[in-house]
Amino acid sequence: MGIQFKEVSFQYPGWGKQFFEALKDISLTINDKDEFIALVGETGSGKSTLAQHMNALIFPTSGTVEINGVPITAKRNKKIKYNSIRQQIGLVFQFPEYQLFEETVEKDIMFGPKNFRVPEEEAREMAKKALNMVGLSDKYLTRNPFNLSGGEKKRVSIAGILAMNPKILILDEPTSGLDPAGKKLLMNLFKSIQKETGKTIIIITHDMDLVYEYTNRVLVLNEGMLEFDGTPDYLFHRHDIDKWHLDYPATISVLRSINDKFHYNLDIYQKTIDAAVSTIAKAVQS
Amino acid sequence: MKNVIIGQYIPGSSFFYHIDPRTKIIAVVVLMVATFLLETIWQVLIGFGIALILIIAGRVPIRKIVKGLKPLYVLLLFTLVFQIAFNRVGTIVLDATMQISPFSILFMIAATIIWRLLASFKKFSLLLFFAYLVGLFFIMKNLAFSPLWTTWQLTIYDQGLIMSGFVIIRLLIIITLSTVLTLTTKPTELTQGLESLLRPLKAIGLNSEDFALIISISLRYIPTILDEANKIMNAQASRGADFAEGRLKDKVVQVISLLVPMFIIAFKRSEELADAMESRNFVPGKPRTRIHDLKFNYRDLITTVITVLCLAGSILVKVL
Ligand SMILES: Nc1ncnc2c1ncn2[C@@H]1O[C@H](COP(=O)(O)OP(=O)(O)OP(=O)(O)O)[C@@H](O)[C@H]1O
Ligand SMILES: [Mg+2]
Repeated sequence: MGIQFKEVSFQYPGWGKQFFEALKDISLTINDKDEFIALVGETGSGKSTLAQHMNALIFPTSGTVEINGVPITAKRNKKIKYNSIRQQIGLVFQFPEYQLFEETVEKDIMFGPKNFRVPEEEAREMAKKALNMVGLSDKYLTRNPFNLSGGEKKRVSIAGILAMNPKILILDEPTSGLDPAGKKLLMNLFKSIQKETGKTIIIITHDMDLVYEYTNRVLVLNEGMLEFDGTPDYLFHRHDIDKWHLDYPATISVLRSINDKFHYNLDIYQKTIDAAVSTIAKAVQS
Repeated sequence: MKNVIIGQYIPGSSFFYHIDPRTKIIAVVVLMVATFLLETIWQVLIGFGIALILIIAGRVPIRKIVKGLKPLYVLLLFTLVFQIAFNRVGTIVLDATMQISPFSILFMIAATIIWRLLASFKKFSLLLFFAYLVGLFFIMKNLAFSPLWTTWQLTIYDQGLIMSGFVIIRLLIIITLSTVLTLTTKPTELTQGLESLLRPLKAIGLNSEDFALIISISLRYIPTILDEANKIMNAQASRGADFAEGRLKDKVVQVISLLVPMFIIAFKRSEELADAMESRNFVPGKPRTRIHDLKFNYRDLITTVITVLCLAGSILVKVL
């Protein structure tokens, strides 16, 4: 089970006969258990497009996406219940404005569960729980989602998907536009969800620090092609990642320049600031 | 997003594309008036011939014009039936007794089924339809065996045919003219031309510049809004609101879930646009320059001459 891409290509229609090839011949397998995946790549490389394939929002132009055993191809199939696929695979969109529409935050978060026939009271419970999970207090339940700040909207939209309790969670740039504390809170939330439930979580992000610290698998997209699929350690050990327009995490960059400038021989592959600091401290003391 | 082409404009570079939009608009209006001055079938036929020559000379794809006629098939058909059935002038060209019996009903049903089956050949749909009508006529005239239910008399007079031909051809000319205008003129040029033509109306309080600005901004934002609608639909579908599935009651909620963000985003967009325009010194009502100024050239002269000739011609045949 999980999600399998088999030679998937996707074209956005353009004017007239032109089209834009957003994904090119992508094959990849995502398990529905125990993965914390980062999907990275420069702006316009096709990350959001790939994510929308994972819950059958858009269909491949050629190739097959198999979602929990259900094959999705170019043609819409009357026999397939797309809604139930989308219940299993929760996708949080890059821009929360497109998702919010109810008059209160509570109703908005309940929209997903209710579509999947969860009883009213239970949905209300779920909404409250999901809201607290993303770090907003109960007093937001009655607020109008359109009057929230950008970061608050983002959190509410994430709560709206969390409340659906999907088997696989996909988040399109969940931390963009958030303050540092909010960023940390959300990443820790995803990590703990991942740890406790064993769900697979996929985040799209431009933040290599998060990729290195939290995830255990990285997919690199470049101009619609899947260029790399492996562990973050393996990725950042490479010296040619700037050809994919990627950067190194701050810890690696800093430790590497310390090594270069002061001719140390520190282990530069430290995932967190704390680990990097203690490496430096050890070197300074000795 | 699906291909949306606003208006019917198709890019090209023939004669018609280089005429000033104002000249084009006025010419089309004048030619329409001239068409309405014509009184006999021969005159409209000549008018239609001239229109055809112009289209071919201007290399406007006839296929597109035929496509533009599609929504009017019903109207054309209605005209035909109405004229044939109720016009009682001139000599009789056909007088037939039509009969309806259980048999002929069966035949008619069969004919209808065949027609619908063949209708998948979209190219000949109009031809097929006429064949179907002729078939019905034949069945009612010849294939009604007893017992008869009703009979009625179909009488067609020659003036009925001629009048319907006249009305239809006149309509064809007018539609062709307006289609050529919209096919060869960008919507923005059209509004600019209209604005320029309506400017004298400022005296009675109608500000054509505002009007044109409103129209061109709306046109500009239609694809954007469609794109946005698509994104919202996807975002809601990912929360289980797929428009293709679900019961009617759910669908109502789903439509609301689409409309509310659309309105909010549209309002927000318009506010942002207003701010952006003001921050770049746009002042409503103040005169503005443009990137593309409208200019007359020799083509406008040719167009004007042809138009005036056509108008003069139709006035002449009316008076003589
Ligand atoms: N609706 C659309 N119609 C046509 N082209 C599109 C559409 N959406 C995206 N594209 C094009 O497809 C490419 C991939 O877009 P996508 O949104 O997947 O990029 P992305 O990797 O998510 O970028 P970002 O980091 O900026 O979010 C882009 O070049 C974009 O211009
Ligand atoms: Mg994106």
